[in-house]
Amino acid sequence: MDVSGILAEHESRSKAIQVDRLIPVEHDLGVLASFDINMLDDTKLRAGQKARDNYLKGVSREGTQLLINELFSLPTTTDDDSVYASLPKTTTILPREKPIPKEKPMTRWEKFAKIKGIQNRKKSRMVFDDNQGEWRPRYGYKGVNNDDQKPWLVEVPLNADPEKDQFQARREEKKERINKNQRRQQRNLEEGAMSDKRKHPQQMRKRELQKALVLSKSSTASMGKFDEKLEGEPKIKGLKRKFDPLVAAAGKEKSKNMDILSRVAKGDTSATVLNVRKAQRAINNSKRTKK
Amino acid sequence: MLLQPKAKNARSKRFLTNRDPKVFENPKTSIFVRGSTTSQVVLDTLKDLYSLSKPNAINFTKKNQIHPFDDETGIEFFSRKNDSSLFAVGMHSKKRPHNLILGRTFNHQVLDMVEMGVERCTTIKEINSRVCAAGTKPLMVFNGEAFAQNEQMIRLKNILLDFFRGESADKVSLKGLECVITVTAGPTGINGEPGLVFLRTYTTSLKKSGVRQPRIELEEMGPALDLRIRRVRYPTDEMWKQATKIPKELYQPKVKNISRDGLGDKYGRVHLGKQGIEKIQTSKVKALRKRLDNKPSKRQRTDDADES
Repeated sequence: MDVSGILAEHESRSKAIQVDRLIPVEHDLGVLASFDINMLDDTKLRAGQKARDNYLKGVSREGTQLLINELFSLPTTTDDDSVYASLPKTTTILPREKPIPKEKPMTRWEKFAKIKGIQNRKKSRMVFDDNQGEWRPRYGYKGVNNDDQKPWLVEVPLNADPEKDQFQARREEKKERINKNQRRQQRNLEEGAMSDKRKHPQQMRKRELQKALVLSKSSTASMGKFDEKLEGEPKIKGLKRKFDPLVAAAGKEKSKNMDILSRVAKGDTSATVLNVRKAQRAINNSKRTKK
Repeated sequence: MLLQPKAKNARSKRFLTNRDPKVFENPKTSIFVRGSTTSQVVLDTLKDLYSLSKPNAINFTKKNQIHPFDDETGIEFFSRKNDSSLFAVGMHSKKRPHNLILGRTFNHQVLDMVEMGVERCTTIKEINSRVCAAGTKPLMVFNGEAFAQNEQMIRLKNILLDFFRGESADKVSLKGLECVITVTAGPTGINGEPGLVFLRTYTTSLKKSGVRQPRIELEEMGPALDLRIRRVRYPTDEMWKQATKIPKELYQPKVKNISRDGLGDKYGRVHLGKQGIEKIQTSKVKALRKRLDNKPSKRQRTDDADES
């Protein structure tokens, strides 16, 4: 059988979409881009605007044709009215907009649940209230969890003080529960922040306490020398009061006194005499009192 | 620096969480800013680039005192305010006439930027032909050796790709390939400095060719820009590394020993380790069984006695 006729026909057909390039063109179909590194005709690019634009259009057409050829040979899926080519992953490295999100630090409960293998089970938001015969939210406004707040009758426990307001007691109990939860939330937040810095939360708390201790010691005239010692109190380094010796070399004492005298006599500029930190504090204090 | 505001209701909370870092990111938003002094050429360029990158773009219509190469704070502020990560700034001065800066930010800090002079700009309006719909993903064609060799041109290529990429998609409608942006590197200078960069935009028309792939014809749409690179700011290694990290969720480990042939058949190669012949369980004989305590068996003991 002679197939040369069929082959020739096929070739003539594909001529319309054929583009010759010396170096094969690279494609990054993920971003619908192609990179052609073949030599361009410099004389035409340097030529006048019209000739250049014509040349550019020709080059662009060929480049686009190659890209379209690639895109149309990708595996396709058909939708209602359109044909979609499924694109491969991009090969070009393009930067992200924002850094990769950090993993949320686990709360104490989550850690515990993980060890114990406790899994979250979905609970419906609404629950059926048998007493009232209707669906009500589990929490929040008109929630079932508020039912203990407004009973029409509260039994007074046997050993309780009969004068005590049991309604008030319930309210306080709830408030206490809320406060406790908030404290725990705060603790989880703090611990999460610490674990971000890869520090142990307990040790951080200890260090903060020690810092406060050092500060409090430095506020007494004796630098805390005669303060009551705490149990297991660390020895604090670098806290020393310095006194000049009572008897020193005559020259030293003299020069020191002369220094003071000369400064006073000269009426030295404020910069040296003024205690800047002290002044600042005074100003700040006055501002605060004015407020 | 702007403080992260605290959401007061659910709607604003949703809005703010949409701005948080994500594994699968939102499409990048670009802002188009004009400097304190501008020329008509630069304004036209900005306007046309804006219309190309719509709808993920914000156009600033007032002048701003900003010079990204000298002081980054201004552009970083805008980036944070608008939650954008691409920027185009246009200005005009005697020293740098018709100046166009294209750049990117990472985490609202300037990552890299390229400053170019616009030598010619033919706008969409001037060409006045068919215009593709806003939001279509353009095809991009880069011509010229320089885009693979010259450091500045490689940077420009990367930035332009990012600018016009639009939303990342895993499939594309073959009918919707309407718009082509081609970037051609002009002849380089005597000292090897990059030459003009010709950015052209065309609309396509697909013609029947008799085979599956259609023949393509182009029609100029605009803008047509002739650009000359002036200054380039490269990203720091540290920042680039951070910006190009692939999140765990997107990282696909290499699949080993599985291949497919042209017919779509799947082949698996299995490697077997050395067989442990010594450990093979043969028939269980009581005499050969190892004892837990290392006492010799009864039979062995009697043998020993015979010897003595």
